[in-house]
Amino acid sequence: MSAVLDPARVPGVWRGGEVDAASPPGIPSGHARLDLELPGGGWPRGALTEILHAGVGLGEVSLLFGALARIASEGRTIAWINPPHLPYAPALASAGVALDACLVVRPATHEDALWSADQALRSGACGAALFWLTEKTDYAWLRRLQMAAESGKALAVLFRPLAALSQASPAHLRLEIGSRGGNLTVKVPKRRGPPLHTPITLRTPGRPAARAAA
Amino acid sequence: MLWVALELPELPLQLLERASESAPPLVVTEGPSQRPIVACANDAAQVSGVREGMTVAAAQALAGSLRCVPRDEAAEHEALERLAGWAAQFTSTVSLEPTGLVLEISGSLRLFGGLGKLLAALKGGVRRLGLHATFGIAPTPLAARVFARAEARGIAVRGCTTLPDLPARLAELPLFLLEWPGRTQETLADLGILRARDALALPRPGFAQRFGPEALALLDRLAGRVPDPRVPYQPPARYKARLELPAEADGVEAILFPLRRLLTEMEGTLRGRGAGVQGLDLLLEHPGKRSTRLALAFAAPEREADFILSIARERLGRTALPAPTVALRLVAERLQSCTPRETSWLSGREEKAVSRARLIERLSARLGNPRVFGIALANDHRPERGWRPSNPSPRSAWDGGARPAWLLNRPQRLVAGATGPSLQGRLDLVAGPERIETGWWDGEPVSRDYFVAANPTGETYWIYRERREPGAWYLHGVFA
Repeated sequence: MSAVLDPARVPGVWRGGEVDAASPPGIPSGHARLDLELPGGGWPRGALTEILHAGVGLGEVSLLFGALARIASEGRTIAWINPPHLPYAPALASAGVALDACLVVRPATHEDALWSADQALRSGACGAALFWLTEKTDYAWLRRLQMAAESGKALAVLFRPLAALSQASPAHLRLEIGSRGGNLTVKVPKRRGPPLHTPITLRTPGRPAARAAA
Repeated sequence: MLWVALELPELPLQLLERASESAPPLVVTEGPSQRPIVACANDAAQVSGVREGMTVAAAQALAGSLRCVPRDEAAEHEALERLAGWAAQFTSTVSLEPTGLVLEISGSLRLFGGLGKLLAALKGGVRRLGLHATFGIAPTPLAARVFARAEARGIAVRGCTTLPDLPARLAELPLFLLEWPGRTQETLADLGILRARDALALPRPGFAQRFGPEALALLDRLAGRVPDPRVPYQPPARYKARLELPAEADGVEAILFPLRRLLTEMEGTLRGRGAGVQGLDLLLEHPGKRSTRLALAFAAPEREADFILSIARERLGRTALPAPTVALRLVAERLQSCTPRETSWLSGREEKAVSRARLIERLSARLGNPRVFGIALANDHRPERGWRPSNPSPRSAWDGGARPAWLLNRPQRLVAGATGPSLQGRLDLVAGPERIETGWWDGEPVSRDYFVAANPTGETYWIYRERREPGAWYLHGVFA
């Protein structure tokens, strides 16, 4: 009986207690330790990911540079929607992200920002869309963005303050970014699999704090 | 030879009704301006008892909010010409008839996968234009027209694809479907000859003597005894279309429906000609000869109605309309040859470039141009000059020190005490200094020592000490 109903043998079924190994392959992050914890072994394509961070300057954006470099090399666009500051060309270039793949959108209103993110994800042109939303966003809109990411097979990353962790979210993956001893710490409160509460520690390339510590 | 005829009954009414989802009571009027009569009335007007042939005054008494539009035969002819242009996507041989079109389709059957599929595409297309047509299929253009006209009058007919079957299919049809002069029709009726069968059976020399060689020639062309060549319609070099709305439209949403009709028509026409438009003028006509003009421009020739509509919608959303809209007009001065985008034989990279260009157009249409830009390296060591918006750069890689992911638009002065600068806690200098001293040649010199600094919570910043201003610290970047 158990041989027949063994859920591990049914495609598309994963048990809550284990990280889903059958997830479609993700985009390697460039951090082997992090890839181990992400279902599919990297950042998921066609799904909404949330990065929740307690402050700024923790390396929350550079964490994605490895994946962005790969997406750019595939000839797909990276949309930066409503970033809090200018993405700085020399930093992207040194991380190997082709600059001509980047498209910066600075919408005037919250509504325009949501619309732009939706358009970018659905267009099929974008391999990744990173967006920052200044106002509270309701579940229905996040669900729409999740579906947009699915239809455009794009990596969709929403950056939010840590306080948003208590709100329900349709994102498939939620990461909590912190800092300890000059290094970057990552917890995974939501993924296809058990949440990861003991943080993993990463060195962020391009961030000299880690180099100084080494 | 295989012909499809399209008959558009009540064309004057259709031209008004296609521009909205639910038309108000509406009549098209004709006759002398002192005493106009109702030429045709739509369903909403007929419900109130309005009938064709009534005086307009009587019709207005029956239906309170009746809109009366004088018949515009020039507009009808233009609409038929545009339909002919649209139909050219199905075959190169399209010719105009007084109330419809005939298409020779034998050469297109293989391309469309058979008669059934071609007819389905044609019928579906006409419906999406908001038009109502009846169809006739026959080996001669005249017979195809007769079948289509019969269907328009509610007479059941079956199409016919081979010449030998044609006489049998025509046999029972009434002769008034043929466009003979009224006198010929009357004489034939007096003789008891009412059906095509009877006319075809008459002795030829006698028929020609009595009704003239013209009438006999028409009968011969109908039955396929003599060839009936048609002159294909040649569309003009530029594209123009106008659609009058049945009622004044306030706001943008009410315009989108008729605009989709116009753009769908244009898409078919452009597809038939293997063309696209790179610039398109959309004119909204307001009462009193005023109009609002929107110039739409695209990175590459386009023709897909959905895409152009999405661009137009965003542009309309940002445009304040001074008055209600009474008519829409599209004008494309130049048609360019266009690679079809909807097919999938484009290479992956090319397809991505196309969808990227379209995304940028869509975003810029709504947000405005300066809000959408690319980034590139600039050949300057001053950090604030180390990037510039858009266009590829001569420098492909960065060879300097560590650079933050975020750059502040303008450096921000930091609070600095005796122990050094602070930002949400004391800042520890974890790397640096990196001296940047340049720009003396253009009047904006910088002379700074850059450090990487972290506060107790681990937030890491890129800050500098202004060398010409002792004790002054600035925040310039964030290692996000």
